[in-house]
Amino acid sequence: MPADLTSKAQQAVELAKGAGAAEASASITQSRDVTFEYRDGALEKVKDTKSQGLGIRIYADGRYSSHQTTDLSASRLKSFIAEAVAITKALEPDEFRRITPAELFANQPGDDLDLVDASIAALNRDRRLQWCEAIDAVATDHERVISATAGVYDGSSQSASVSSNGFSGSSESTYCWYGSNITLRDQGDKRASDGYYVGGQHVADLPDAANVAATGLERALSRLNSEKGPTVKTTMLVDSRVAGSLIRRLLGPANARRVQQGQSYWADLVGEQAFSDKLTIIDNPLIKRGFGSRHFDSEGISAKVIPIVENGVVKNLYVDTYYGRKADMQPTTGSASNRVIGTGEKSLQELMADVGDGVYVTSWLGGNADNTTGDFSLGIRGHMIENGEIGRPVGEMNVTGNLRDLFSRLDATGNDVYPYSSTLSPSLVFSDVDFSGA
Amino acid sequence: MTIKRRDFLGSVAAGSAIVTMPGFLSGCGVQTATAISSNTPENPFMDWFGVDQGTVARVMSELTARGADTADLYFQHSRSNSLTLEDGIVSSANSGIEQGVGLRVVIGEQTGYAFTEDLTLPSMLAAARTASAIATGSQTVAPQSFNPLATGDLYTTTVPWADVGVDQKLPVMKYIEATAKTKDTAIEKVAVYWGDADERVMIATLDGKLVTDHRPMARVTVVVTAKKGEETQTGYSNIAAREEFSWFSEARLEKMIDEAVDRTMIQFEAIRPPAGEMPVILASGASGILLHEAIGHGMEADFNRKGTSIYSDMIGKKVAEPFVTVVDQADIPRERGALNYDDEGNKAGRTVMVENGVLKSYLHDQISAKQYGISPTGSGRRESYQYSPMPRMSCTFMEDGPHTKDEIVAAVDHGIICETYTNGQVQIGAGDYTFYVKNGWLVENGKVTAPIKDVNIIGNGPESLKRITMVANDARLDTGGWTCGKNGQSVPVSQGIPTVLVSKMTVGGENAS
Repeated sequence: MPADLTSKAQQAVELAKGAGAAEASASITQSRDVTFEYRDGALEKVKDTKSQGLGIRIYADGRYSSHQTTDLSASRLKSFIAEAVAITKALEPDEFRRITPAELFANQPGDDLDLVDASIAALNRDRRLQWCEAIDAVATDHERVISATAGVYDGSSQSASVSSNGFSGSSESTYCWYGSNITLRDQGDKRASDGYYVGGQHVADLPDAANVAATGLERALSRLNSEKGPTVKTTMLVDSRVAGSLIRRLLGPANARRVQQGQSYWADLVGEQAFSDKLTIIDNPLIKRGFGSRHFDSEGISAKVIPIVENGVVKNLYVDTYYGRKADMQPTTGSASNRVIGTGEKSLQELMADVGDGVYVTSWLGGNADNTTGDFSLGIRGHMIENGEIGRPVGEMNVTGNLRDLFSRLDATGNDVYPYSSTLSPSLVFSDVDFSGA
Repeated sequence: MTIKRRDFLGSVAAGSAIVTMPGFLSGCGVQTATAISSNTPENPFMDWFGVDQGTVARVMSELTARGADTADLYFQHSRSNSLTLEDGIVSSANSGIEQGVGLRVVIGEQTGYAFTEDLTLPSMLAAARTASAIATGSQTVAPQSFNPLATGDLYTTTVPWADVGVDQKLPVMKYIEATAKTKDTAIEKVAVYWGDADERVMIATLDGKLVTDHRPMARVTVVVTAKKGEETQTGYSNIAAREEFSWFSEARLEKMIDEAVDRTMIQFEAIRPPAGEMPVILASGASGILLHEAIGHGMEADFNRKGTSIYSDMIGKKVAEPFVTVVDQADIPRERGALNYDDEGNKAGRTVMVENGVLKSYLHDQISAKQYGISPTGSGRRESYQYSPMPRMSCTFMEDGPHTKDEIVAAVDHGIICETYTNGQVQIGAGDYTFYVKNGWLVENGKVTAPIKDVNIIGNGPESLKRITMVANDARLDTGGWTCGKNGQSVPVSQGIPTVLVSKMTVGGENAS
């Protein structure tokens, strides 16, 4: 299949050159995605789709633009690309806009990333329905359940990319996710709700569907009788399942674009002990069956392991070729692959015991951060930690501070990495965090 | 695609929905589309998609071969274009075409869905068979032809975006940058992001309707970065509407530029408020985010028919003071959230959700309307042909109340005013919602004192509604480019509100003891 896609991508590049582009790179992707949703004893939604698309980058007369279309009919494609070249020529020239240098394509790793499970293409209605029914049976098995939706999501995608200066690459992956959302009757008109999903490239890696549903129900039940917690400065334990989200906020402006645009608190941090020595973040694109694994990035840069933060010292930023040239930084990669967060020795329970008193955060609700200053404020739900153990459920609280300052007070990391994400983080413990509540 | 789904499942809690300002680079926009080739009044859209009545009828028949309560074909063609100005030059453009047809079968609460980007008959028939597999009955009688409904006139354009070239947009972007730079010597960088789009949809329904809609969209954002000593601050403003090129007048742009500069420069003086519960004044306009999160999502009838919303058992009950009336209205000309018809082909209009303090109506799509035995409210929306529709908001706002802004400020001893926002989110079941305040003010002893920044506000929907103790007479819709996300689908929305006082909310702040 990728061979056919490669030739289509090659044709798009040739069309661009024929229309007057000096250089071009193109990617063709195709995917199949299937959704089964099952609610309260009956199938509710079946969605089964095949999709395709072309993305193309054009360099002409010292100018640059990018385009994408889902309409791949031959006649339309030709005029689409001709128009794309015309748009490019109407822009202003920019000496920093150049196609990715061929030397960055060198040494493309050949590691077997094991991203394809052939059995996913063979999944049928009965199998998906079995998972739905198994999940539903467990997820609805409580007197307080108002509604539970079981979901199975699977599919595959293939893509091929080529450039006019010699890049060629292809990728293929499969996925399968399942789990449930559960809503319970709580006090008054309130509903307690939560859910749990697991996923992977390979079906064999997934835990048993009934166990996944049991975790979802347990999580929803733990929300019953939640109340607003106190306004307090205390220790925050962030559960590994939601720690990745906080790490991604931290890394939001850790890239050349933000730095060059003057919108990053990471600007002067390379080489500095900017964070707690407990913080290590490695970008690793070569993990077998990793959600973010790849042989090359969207610019064609060959994948390699890039340390971002080691023991609190900033080693690298995410640097693409354009903003790298502008900011005089060597390109690394413009986009994250798998972000691997350094782990500690202790389990979640041991971390909690060490914390003694504090707040255990199990989900975020809204909030944001200013990339320029690092100031943040986030809504949370979770539990109080009392005498080293999980306490009453709390919600309707905010946590507020500055991201750089917060991660300088990262006191401990757990050994409990949450596996269903491209951000592989353990639970994290921060001291002296401002919570606002009642 | 899978990334999107993973991100959704991994980062969004169950039953939650979010609204955000646009990411700066995810603009919409267009370029040179070819003109519609036919002037036949009944079917210019059919020509556009290369189909005719017979083809559509044939596909509808296949789609309903195993039975259907309702079914529709949603043809869509979107051309979008964006331009980026950074460091003084417009050196990046992006354009995109999204074209396809979504095919849906509904039986009771069951939905079968498929789409194809290949608009040939064999491909559409194959997708129809896939979607129909949800059903197990026998052929529903499908129409042999479709009756075109009158096209709407909420956002008619004289010059489509297809006819506006880069050469026309570029000077406007340059003007924005140059003007912004004159506003303050501390300004180091100005970036301008342009987005425009032309979307054509054609919906054929099982009951024989043929609805067409040409939906333009335009949005411009300016981002200002300023430096004083070692401190850098960034702020932005944007404007968006279903409008055409001439809408971007100098006066309108100047107002946007001034907002962006003011929001940036005030941050050098702004502080974090104290943490905890306090009275919160919501400034008129963008503070409509309160309504979107605190009540709007919870009133979407898909949550209520499933019993998962905190509002599921509250219709007819008093939920707020008698001066509180909350409306969702799609037929407001040229607003970003405006729609002539919803994405199920129903006329979009005005739904009063809260009338004089009493909860009146949910926002319905066809599935929920049938279950509740009422007419749909024209609230069925979808991001694109790739998705099945569900109840969504359009333009959500609160009507004027009996107080004035000055009375409201004077009534607060120690609290804050919230003025600009970046995003919000809600937990449908528990009713907890948040919004992030980018700029605001402290209020002390009835007077506005210091500027504040970067605080999240959290509250509970029904509790906050009860705590709206004052409503001013200065209601307005915000012109910012709001986008609402729900179950992985994004749609453009508008929101508005007069100045209101919520007597107690939890403010993210510092110096918790």
